[in-house]
Amino acid sequence: MSLAELLPLSPFVVLGAVLGLDVVAFPQVMLSRPIVAATLAGALAGAPLRGLTIGVALEFFALEAMPFGSSRYPEWGSAAVVGGAVFTRASEGTAGAMTVAVLIALIAAGVGGTSMHLLRRLNAAVARRQQARIARGSGSAVTVVQLTGLTIDLIRAGAVTALVLAIAVPLYDRALAGFAFSPVASRAVVVGTAASVGLAAVWKVTQSTAGARWYLLAGLLLGFGVAWGIA
Amino acid sequence: MTLELLRIDDRLIHGQVVVGWGQPCQIGFFVLVDDAIAGAEWEQELYRMGTPPEIAIEFVTVDQAIERWPRYQADPRVGMLLTGDVETMDRLTAAAPALSQVTIGGLHMKPGRVQRMRFVFLSPEEEARLRAMAARGVMVVAQDVPSAPVTSLEAVLAGDGTA
Amino acid sequence: MSDLPPRLPMRTWLAVCSRLFAMQGAFNYETMIGNGIAFAMEPALRRLPGGPRGPAYAAALGRHSGYFNAHPYLASVAVGALMRAELDGVPAAQIERFRVAAAGPLGSVGDRLVWAGWLPLCSASALLAFGLGASPLLVLLLFLTLYNVMHVGLRIWGLHTGWVHGLRVARALDVWILRRAPAHMGRATALVAGVALPVAAHGIIGPGRALLGVVLGGVAVSAATVTALRGKAEGWQIAILVLLGFTLAGVVR
Repeated sequence: MSLAELLPLSPFVVLGAVLGLDVVAFPQVMLSRPIVAATLAGALAGAPLRGLTIGVALEFFALEAMPFGSSRYPEWGSAAVVGGAVFTRASEGTAGAMTVAVLIALIAAGVGGTSMHLLRRLNAAVARRQQARIARGSGSAVTVVQLTGLTIDLIRAGAVTALVLAIAVPLYDRALAGFAFSPVASRAVVVGTAASVGLAAVWKVTQSTAGARWYLLAGLLLGFGVAWGIA
Repeated sequence: MTLELLRIDDRLIHGQVVVGWGQPCQIGFFVLVDDAIAGAEWEQELYRMGTPPEIAIEFVTVDQAIERWPRYQADPRVGMLLTGDVETMDRLTAAAPALSQVTIGGLHMKPGRVQRMRFVFLSPEEEARLRAMAARGVMVVAQDVPSAPVTSLEAVLAGDGTA
Repeated sequence: MSDLPPRLPMRTWLAVCSRLFAMQGAFNYETMIGNGIAFAMEPALRRLPGGPRGPAYAAALGRHSGYFNAHPYLASVAVGALMRAELDGVPAAQIERFRVAAAGPLGSVGDRLVWAGWLPLCSASALLAFGLGASPLLVLLLFLTLYNVMHVGLRIWGLHTGWVHGLRVARALDVWILRRAPAHMGRATALVAGVALPVAAHGIIGPGRALLGVVLGGVAVSAATVTALRGKAEGWQIAILVLLGFTLAGVVR
């Protein structure tokens, strides 16, 4: 991609950076959840409803991840911005648009997760370098460690967004140009896949709570009835 | 045998244990083995607060754990035994040969320790104790959450912290 | 430790509160959120005897920047309790024991309450709102407001509770919201997510009962497969393979 082609994507890079920072470092108000992040990316492209639509698909996947302590998990903030940004490039009803956009967002989430793992190692090195000053009681050293971590995380998330967008946008446009399956079939596959992961995640949550699986079953029956009624 | 999970974890009761393991394994009781905590009511209060009301928790010394071992084995619920350090688990497995598999769930940075995995930092003394446990026939592995891969002791000790 | 906490100026409270939101800014595998704890406490530690150049301040900062890990929202309980202990002059050994003992339980409660309870419940509510036709703005407002009432509330309540009770905070944490609410949230999440999944799926795929039936039937089967594969691969990784295969087939055909 040339610089002229990349420039219009820069607002998404800034958004990806800010929302990637929200995942863990600051302020964790869940602007980084896919249902929010992809909608904001869609709004940036002038199509908030399309952003929300792919955000919902990605939110199903995000139900699976629980960010315990030092465990590794996908990074959804910048990934959902990438998903929203690419999905809004295609017009409504384009075959494969959501399938390929979700695929790109999932890969971005994996790349983002790996980059967070590397960031944590880098943060450890920064903290180690300031350790002697902190032990001597330097408040500014504590602040330096914290602000360095925040700054690098912001840059990390922006870089992930920029890198994935730069690689994915040309591929996305090319893939959709000759996509063989119908729009209905491709949406059905992506929704089916996403909802399967979401349902498996909710099933896991029900394991530790007495009676919760019956609530899930009742909810599914009710939800199926509502969906059937409005279908 | 219902006491299926023996874990070394310096945070003892925390999210990975209660939610990460507790939910999929449907754990019914925890046995927290620590000589100091077994005698400190205010610390026990903190750990009780971190345990869901539907899961029982017992605070015991190493000697009490060995003595009560048959009772744990006969309990129909699934149990998890936790120690906060390698030394306690070493003493326990030496005295109770039926304990055949131990999982390192989390040992974090302390002076004198070297990083072996993302969540495992070990001192030379701790490494020697783990090797001694393995030599006695105890299978020692590392795994923080059930969805993470199981790492053998050899791989842990050869690690440089990147895994 | 005295029964009445010392008074802190409003600007100190504001500084501590705002720093709580950046507590995980330097999260790492060695000290975890230890530096963040010291960063959040630092404005209060300046009030130790001798001020920011005194030995008490230096010792406290060194102590609290070491390894610590807990749920980021409930870590505010530890921040409040430790600030109080330091300003009350509690012996260092006792403070250290509290740091070790508090980390795990504050992580456990927070993980159950927020990550496994409140967050999926808010998420499922937003999915349901989308499925029922709410506008993007309404969905976002619903999700962000619901989630952050609990999030911001927990941080501030935790700081206050820790400060008021100091190292004897455990009994003050024996409250319904921390002990009993996670189980109720688990059931509520199951119910709302159960309703939301088919309704939101329909919201994306559009009208057509036959298609809806096929998709939801497929979801039931493949969710069971994802559950069976747990421990070997995560759902999002399996999804990459499925969607990659479908995309390649769509492009190559």
